[in-house]
Amino acid sequence: MKVSLSWLKRFVDFDYSTSELADKLTMRGFESEVATDFSSLDHIVVGEVKSAEKHPDADKLKVCMVSDGKQTYNVVCGAPNVDKDQKIVFAKVGAVLPGDFKIGKAKIRGVESFGMICSERELGISEEHEGIMVLDDSCKVGAKIDTILGEAYNAIDIEITPDKAFALSHRGIAREIAAMTESKIKTPMEVVKATSKGKDIVKVVLDKKGGCTRYIAGTMTNLTVGPSPKWLADYLKSVGQKSINNLVDISNFMLLEIGHPTHVFDLKKLSKPAIEVKWAKKDEKFHALDEETYKLDTDHLIITDSVNTIALAGIIGGKDSAVSDSTTDVLIESAYFDPVVIRRGSKKLNLLSEASRRFERGADPEATLEAFYMIVGLMTEVAGGSLESIVADESTIDLTLHKVSLSEAKLLKYIGHKIDFKSVSFILDGLHIENKKTKAGWDCIIPSFRHDVKHETDLIEEVLRCYGYENIQSSYSFSSQMQYANDAEQPLFELKQYLSSLGFNQCYNNSLQDLEEVKSFGINPVSVMNPSSERMNTLRTTLHHGLFENLDFNFKNGSSNTLIYEYGTVFEKKGDTLKDIEQVSNFSCLVHGNFYDKNVHFDSIENNFFLLKGVASNAFATLTKAKVKFIEDKHAYCDVFYRIVDGKKNTVGSIGVVSDLFLDKLDISHKTNVSILDINTSLFIEHFNHNIKVQDVVLYPIVNRDLNFKFDSNTNLGKVCAAIKSVNQSIMQDVFPVDIYKSKKEDGKKNVLFKLSFQSVKKTLEDNDVNAVIAEIISVVTKKFNAKLRDN
Amino acid sequence: MSLDNTIKEIKASFQSELSNCNTSTDLENIRITYLGRKGKLTTLFEEFTKLPGSEKPKYGKTLNILKTDLTSAFDKKLKEINPNSHKSNDSSEDFSLPGYNLPEGSLHPLEQVTSEIKAIFQSIGFSVAYGPEIDDDYHNFEALNVPKHHPARDMQDTFFVDPNTVLRTHTSNVQIHLMENQDPPLRHICCGRVFRNEAVSYKSFCLFNQVEGLVINETSSFAEMKGTLEYFVKEMFGEGTKMRFRPSYFPFTEPSAEVDIWNDKLNQWMEILGCGMVNPNVLTNVGYDNKKYQGFAFGMGIERIAMIKYGIKDIRLFYQNDKRFLEQF
Repeated sequence: MKVSLSWLKRFVDFDYSTSELADKLTMRGFESEVATDFSSLDHIVVGEVKSAEKHPDADKLKVCMVSDGKQTYNVVCGAPNVDKDQKIVFAKVGAVLPGDFKIGKAKIRGVESFGMICSERELGISEEHEGIMVLDDSCKVGAKIDTILGEAYNAIDIEITPDKAFALSHRGIAREIAAMTESKIKTPMEVVKATSKGKDIVKVVLDKKGGCTRYIAGTMTNLTVGPSPKWLADYLKSVGQKSINNLVDISNFMLLEIGHPTHVFDLKKLSKPAIEVKWAKKDEKFHALDEETYKLDTDHLIITDSVNTIALAGIIGGKDSAVSDSTTDVLIESAYFDPVVIRRGSKKLNLLSEASRRFERGADPEATLEAFYMIVGLMTEVAGGSLESIVADESTIDLTLHKVSLSEAKLLKYIGHKIDFKSVSFILDGLHIENKKTKAGWDCIIPSFRHDVKHETDLIEEVLRCYGYENIQSSYSFSSQMQYANDAEQPLFELKQYLSSLGFNQCYNNSLQDLEEVKSFGINPVSVMNPSSERMNTLRTTLHHGLFENLDFNFKNGSSNTLIYEYGTVFEKKGDTLKDIEQVSNFSCLVHGNFYDKNVHFDSIENNFFLLKGVASNAFATLTKAKVKFIEDKHAYCDVFYRIVDGKKNTVGSIGVVSDLFLDKLDISHKTNVSILDINTSLFIEHFNHNIKVQDVVLYPIVNRDLNFKFDSNTNLGKVCAAIKSVNQSIMQDVFPVDIYKSKKEDGKKNVLFKLSFQSVKKTLEDNDVNAVIAEIISVVTKKFNAKLRDN
Repeated sequence: MSLDNTIKEIKASFQSELSNCNTSTDLENIRITYLGRKGKLTTLFEEFTKLPGSEKPKYGKTLNILKTDLTSAFDKKLKEINPNSHKSNDSSEDFSLPGYNLPEGSLHPLEQVTSEIKAIFQSIGFSVAYGPEIDDDYHNFEALNVPKHHPARDMQDTFFVDPNTVLRTHTSNVQIHLMENQDPPLRHICCGRVFRNEAVSYKSFCLFNQVEGLVINETSSFAEMKGTLEYFVKEMFGEGTKMRFRPSYFPFTEPSAEVDIWNDKLNQWMEILGCGMVNPNVLTNVGYDNKKYQGFAFGMGIERIAMIKYGIKDIRLFYQNDKRFLEQF
């Protein structure tokens, strides 16, 4: 909300500069910034146009001689309204206009120009830029512009939070300034209850189901529509509003003055001077002031003249009943509408107005009558005319003021800092909250414009806000509150650090993806009703997709060597209710390209399935001490796929090589051998948290032996190793293939050298012990796998 | 002479010659005499092969030990006399070649900032809680004192899965679940992803990461909240960091505040977190006695803090996963 200092000064005197005011209000809970501040503008003065001649080389430009009282400058100006003898705003060379617009010497179509004649937009006053701003003739040439414009147009922008409806006007903000500066609020406009000329009263009927709890209506006649007087137009301009005509301006002025929205209907355009507030019919059409036609619903509250809909209550007026240049008689509405009704209605149409903004936050029911008579008073003053009808005031609202008590003990316990009772009373007084000191604290009566203060904590907030957060002494005595601090996901952080130190880059991908792409992964997804874009309408069902896209992105940007992983939530829809949505934390890795490119030390080493297989075993072994095994399985988009199982046969993860066809279908650029590893996070955490039990170190030596077999080339060596191990469980330590040689001479055969190790927990092994086992191994392997033992 | 005696003598004479040896020439002579191709050790092994099979195991072991002993004593002396001798004498090796080019790994900047924040709060006794990213309207809004049709709903643009189910707009839903399942005292932080239906640009994304804190007991006050967050800011941004608490509004806290830190470079305050005393309505909603219990809550966006910390100007970089960006962390 834009608020001008000149307007605020109608209500309260203060000496703050624009930026000081913004700072002070910010620290009171009204986040503010300077919108217009002429005191910060140098080299801008009142100038006088001594002459204005057509530019010799451009039809639309003029060459002006501008005086600053001491000197005359050549200035090229493009405004159609610039003319001789005008007093204007002259920005000299060296000036910096709002928006960091620097004025320098320029040559415009061959003519030198020393400065600029400003429009209102260039000065940040309004959007007006059709022509230059012409000043009053009484302005002294050469005067600093701050002395002329600062007074009228210095303004701040305030971000009013949804709870502070009371601050949505100049009076509301002025009350805060008065409280801050310990000064009195002024009454610039007395509420005079005008007497009506006629004897008729506007018939007002309110719907029994609520929605509108107070409606004040009256008619005025013999008005003259015309331009607003300067003071009125200037106030509106000071907050960036355009003057339309005196009648419309008055209603707008009142909204910004005291924050109560009102509406003015052209009486002659109404069927009769009767008001019925009721609910709209389904799909009823309404032609509004903004030229749009809205389709209403049964929970839209409307104002009718008992025949036609003339306004959408509290949101916007109707086009057909609007005030125009020929209006002479009006019906003035000042009402109180239910915040929820207005909120729902405006949300449904996505139609927000200055009025709806105030009603949905809660207007001041007492201001209803005040606003009405102020409008009558202003219209009489500005547009002639007089009150015709008797004023109707239909009300079902309870205007009893709310009472809230504040306990001194609670205040102390809540804030943890003693605020003496005099300060509290003083603060409450400043906020117009009537308060009486009792033994326990304060009994307070809340003014009607502070309906946001309902509970004790609301009062505590007010006291604290005004006392100043900076004045509360911080307490560091929280050690007594400290507890055992636990993070269930700490093991996953260890896993992330492990992978990153191996050379993996951690990724964070968007959870929202394109439904069409998500479908390719074969899991029923969850979509959002109101996506911001179709590319992001569905929640991910797997982390693979994001990692594929990261592969694609980096591949296209020149790095094909990829080691990446992500930890995050994936979603699956298993039914129609929230509890049928499965939300699981996944951990996925992807590798592609080379771990080492070819270099002076050795040939390239590929990032592939075997790297991930090693990483998987090692991650579990290093971080959790668990031994895992790999069991072949099938997967929708992996050509090769293994489940990773722990000692209890639980699947703790999986590993696979993604089908190139699948990646091509998704348009993922890659070479080949894109391998993925998934780790089941909850089982990983379980293993991580498993206590280690130390076993005795076996001190007897390990005996190594080599065995060389010739196999058919399609023999599965994993099975061979398993078979060898199963021959003897007591002294067989380990077996692994160390060399595979495919002979060119013997097609379809491979020679494999195995390294076997033996150790006993009871004694030093003798040759005989080992030889017996070796003999059995040879027999098993040769029979079971159609192999032949070869000499070493 | 028995083999045993021969072994003893060789050992003794080797040791005395070695200890009297001072030059590399002498040392080379010792090597030739004892360890050389025709040296005494070789002779011993030749004799060993002539032994009867029954004695072989015993002497085999003894001889092996002798060989190891002599060799290692010789190597030690060699290093003493000629300190450079243990270095590679293969002059063809070029040690100026690059090392193995190990891939450069990294933790995502958001992970780094999150873990740093977690560690600070864990150090003052906060546990970490997690909760669902899709939740019902009640846990995301109503229980937090944001009724339907309340203007405060505009503060957070929401993605809906159905009219009553949302992508959480903050991690505060975790606080509600926590309070529903546990009695005070509570001292927790919650962290995770939250979603806002905002147009994607350099300064806003459709999701971000949050860390929120919640303290509920019988005494924790506004002053304690200030102390806690001052401690956090100093740990996170440095001891000299200038900060301020200014009044603000959140439906779930009252009084509410926003915390700004001063940015010297930009010469302006920068908002980094929101906080406040937990609104008594929230406590009632989870079945706590709001006359007995009170406390405070706070929340911050990780992206925002990471952007300040690392000087990142475009929030989208966090989710693009450009290797050239990630490798900088």
